[in-house]
Amino acid sequence: MTTVIQAEHLKFSYGDKTVLKDINLTVQPGEIVGLIGANGAGKTTFLNILLGLLAGTGEVSVFGQRPGAPDSKVRLGSMLQGDMVIAGTTVGDLMQLAAAQSPRALDPDALLNEFHLSDLKPQRLGILSGGQLRRITFAVALVGNPDLLFLDEPTVGMDAQSRKAFWTQIEQLRQQGKTMVITSHYLEEIQQVADRLLILQNGRFVFNGSLQALQKQHLGATITCETDLQSAIFNGLPAVDKVQLVAPKLIIHSTDGDQTLRALVPMLDRLHQVSVTRESLEDIFLQLTGKDDEK
Amino acid sequence: MKTFKTQLAFDGKRLILRNFSYIFFSLLMPAGFYLLFTKVMVSGSSTQMKPFYVSYMDSMIVYSVLISALFGIAAILKRDRDQGLVTFLSLSAHGTFPYYLSVAFWMLMMSLFSVAVMGSLAVGINGVSLHFDQWLSLFGVVLIGQLPIMLIGIGLSYIRRYETLSLASNLITFPMAIVSGLWWPINMLPKWLQSIGELMPTYFVNQLLNQLTSRAKVDLTNLLGIVAWFVVTGLLVIVLSKHEQRKGVALGEA
Repeated sequence: MTTVIQAEHLKFSYGDKTVLKDINLTVQPGEIVGLIGANGAGKTTFLNILLGLLAGTGEVSVFGQRPGAPDSKVRLGSMLQGDMVIAGTTVGDLMQLAAAQSPRALDPDALLNEFHLSDLKPQRLGILSGGQLRRITFAVALVGNPDLLFLDEPTVGMDAQSRKAFWTQIEQLRQQGKTMVITSHYLEEIQQVADRLLILQNGRFVFNGSLQALQKQHLGATITCETDLQSAIFNGLPAVDKVQLVAPKLIIHSTDGDQTLRALVPMLDRLHQVSVTRESLEDIFLQLTGKDDEK
Repeated sequence: MKTFKTQLAFDGKRLILRNFSYIFFSLLMPAGFYLLFTKVMVSGSSTQMKPFYVSYMDSMIVYSVLISALFGIAAILKRDRDQGLVTFLSLSAHGTFPYYLSVAFWMLMMSLFSVAVMGSLAVGINGVSLHFDQWLSLFGVVLIGQLPIMLIGIGLSYIRRYETLSLASNLITFPMAIVSGLWWPINMLPKWLQSIGELMPTYFVNQLLNQLTSRAKVDLTNLLGIVAWFVVTGLLVIVLSKHEQRKGVALGEA
């Protein structure tokens, strides 16, 4: 199978400001990659290079060709930040225009129907809400029937219901074997769909792997229970960082949840209502990016 | 071809049919001025006024083209870039060529609509009568003469802020219309202002139209003036476009 995206030693600067320092990445067909990073980390710049809108130094290819090559454009769909609020244009007009750009386009009306957006077809873009515009922009990205989708902050402005529907559609696209690169600030959502996470910080990927691999590197957990034991006992357990008593709960913050849990096993008959919460992607993200900021 | 046809239909609807600003400012307003100055604020008999009916029709055609270019086209091109339409099309397999071709086509159509509307009023209301060859050459001159004016509009579209664009459009359009004699005869202006007015592209186009519609001798220096403006404004647009590409404007945050 041909690699979909390949980047080696990619660098990019805006004048004196270096945005991407040394990016190396391979994306295989059917993969869903979540690209996360703080504002200004270089996510959009990276996507723009892959789309051929910006030129960096180093080796980059999309479907084995340079970004922006006509053959690869036919297989690409993108949902960039900001929506096209074109005056005097209806949803139907925009969908028709988008469909006319690709020889392998889907039927725009059928797609709007599938997305439950048919009612909006005669509406002018200027009167739609932010969430509706985002959904239309997603439909526009898909109407060319692309193999590879770049989705830059796709759910910004969507209400909870629309976001849920959006991620369901992403799951359906996964079933169809589409490859996707998604950036989002909603980390709890991206961790649900991404096969792989890329954390971009100061122009480099500080992590490139699955959520499970990330969590293995970051073993922290919070153990909550009720007990008649003195809280001081727990301070001496392995990997315990901090113990808080919020009566009647005892909250144990551990840097290695498994190690602390093993030490708790002999006391199990004195512990009740035990629950364990692993570090979320957001916690790990903040640790990783915060650590780097401090350097 | 399907892509271009779809693009034409897309642009025709948004730039002409559903564009109230264009219809009002580029067609209805010059038409209103024409009626006002030829039917309401008039002195003299119909025979005496005949040459004025024709020359003022020429002026209002040029004024309509000027408004379309400096207000309509400038803002439309800017919005298309800022709102991602140009980026979206540049990411497609066909690129932006059909888009620019379609916008150029509708720019030409806007000018022809100006001729059609002002011409219809002149003929229908004021009984202006021109031969077929005069109408044909009038269309031809408008098509050629609009080029430097449209290029000024395209150049203005590279202004970063909408407020500045609006200010620049106003500051260029109305003084240019006045000094080049579109609103009232240029010989009513002070000499020094006439000297400036006689260098404006709108003056050259208006003069050519006047000469053709009055069957006067055609002064080719007007055509040279249009060509000179075309070269200068064309180069300016190329420089601005290259500058914009280098900056990578409208590509979003890092």
